[in-house]
Amino acid sequence: MTDQADLLAQFSSALAARAEAAKNAIVAIRLAHGRHITGTVWRSDIVVTSEQSLPRNDDFELVAAGGSVVTARIAGRDPSTNIAILRLAEQMASPSIAAGEAHTGAIALAIGTDGTGGESARLGLVNLVGPEWHSSRGGLIDRRIVLDISLAQREEGGPVFDAVGACLGMSTFGPRGRVIAIPTATIERIVPLLLKDGRIARGWLGVALQAVAVPDALRETADQSSGLMVMSVVEDGPAARAGILAGDIILSVDGISAHRFRKIAGYFGSDSIGRKADLRLIRSGKVITVQTTIAERPAHE
Amino acid sequence: MSEAARKPAPVGRLRVAVHAVDLPRRSALSRVVAEAGHVVVGAQDAADVVLADRDRPAGETRPVVILGGSDHDLPGVLSRDAGASQIDAAIRAVAAGLVVRLPEAMDTGFGAMRETDARALLTPRELEVLAALAEGMTNKAIARRLNISLHTVKFHVESLFRKLGARTRTEAVAKASERRRYETITL
Repeated sequence: MTDQADLLAQFSSALAARAEAAKNAIVAIRLAHGRHITGTVWRSDIVVTSEQSLPRNDDFELVAAGGSVVTARIAGRDPSTNIAILRLAEQMASPSIAAGEAHTGAIALAIGTDGTGGESARLGLVNLVGPEWHSSRGGLIDRRIVLDISLAQREEGGPVFDAVGACLGMSTFGPRGRVIAIPTATIERIVPLLLKDGRIARGWLGVALQAVAVPDALRETADQSSGLMVMSVVEDGPAARAGILAGDIILSVDGISAHRFRKIAGYFGSDSIGRKADLRLIRSGKVITVQTTIAERPAHE
Repeated sequence: MSEAARKPAPVGRLRVAVHAVDLPRRSALSRVVAEAGHVVVGAQDAADVVLADRDRPAGETRPVVILGGSDHDLPGVLSRDAGASQIDAAIRAVAAGLVVRLPEAMDTGFGAMRETDARALLTPRELEVLAALAEGMTNKAIARRLNISLHTVKFHVESLFRKLGARTRTEAVAKASERRRYETITL
């Protein structure tokens, strides 16, 4: 009995020590109305946080461990990987972050902020680990890491550690409130690009698309069974200028079939900007080809 | 500040400051507020709620209901074309200390590009039938609108139920709208 209690006590103090050690790795990012999200101190002058929850301001106040307030300025944001970085006005002591590899069933410790310079901790398991995936905004995420952890909104954007104290990634909310981690590898890949340009440039047509089945009568002419129907067209965007209409069904872009839209998303990388693209589409029962020039995706799209 | 503005408004009747750069828009919003039974007060007067068009008034500390724009962290966030009943409901809720959001706003979250199984993809015609179902139309009315036979409508509705895994028309509409929310991609 004594032995078991000791084991639990050891486990508990080890976790508490880890949480304590992580307090210098986080800051609270002040939002309006007394709300906060968490930022992870990635380097002595750079804080990483969740892009989707960061208001579109230029300047932010951060509360560091112990309650001191530092200012920071936005240095880049990439909605496609949900990573935003802030540059600190003054350098901070930052613990070195070692990349950890996520394994299904392993322990995950998520650290967040309490908003006043303190920290909060969440313990759970890595619910599942999967291969790389594309976000609905077209970004490539290196690993799928779903966590069996509940998170308060103010805790989003903090680091997630494994049992040996390595960083699995940054916590964030996926669809339906599920907690996922943006892998450390993705952050390490995106941060230098954001530091250089402030954004990750992506090609853009200015359309919202939904996959549809090609009507039976047109399958032979179209030579494929599915396509992407244009649900809406952004005013004055490249697609609008090329005369693309809501209701058009895109079959292929420069020969890449639309039912492989992950491949199409990959085709709209930064090198696609300015390129002319041939869209093969169905309009009013006929297959036609429309040429459009790929533009750069505006920051707010 | 006038003495009248300092007094709390009678129950159910709120003092609302309307903030809109565009003058016709400001008078239209003021009319909506007044017709809902509230009192439109000046920008500097004591107000229970501020109703703002797209832009958050600088330095505003009172609860704000915003229409459109990109400030998503205010107590009340409606779309720019919100109707009178939504505006009234939002003003009352925010004055009572609640937070108001559109259903879409609750579905944020960083998600994957989703692909539907090819066999479950809807056809353009099925999407038209679905839009009519969402409006609460009967099969007969749908047949008239799309200029197809009642038999064909029934065929499409059954196919929709099968592809969406729905048992009722309401369920089909709900499932399709959820699918649209998660599967729409922007390019």
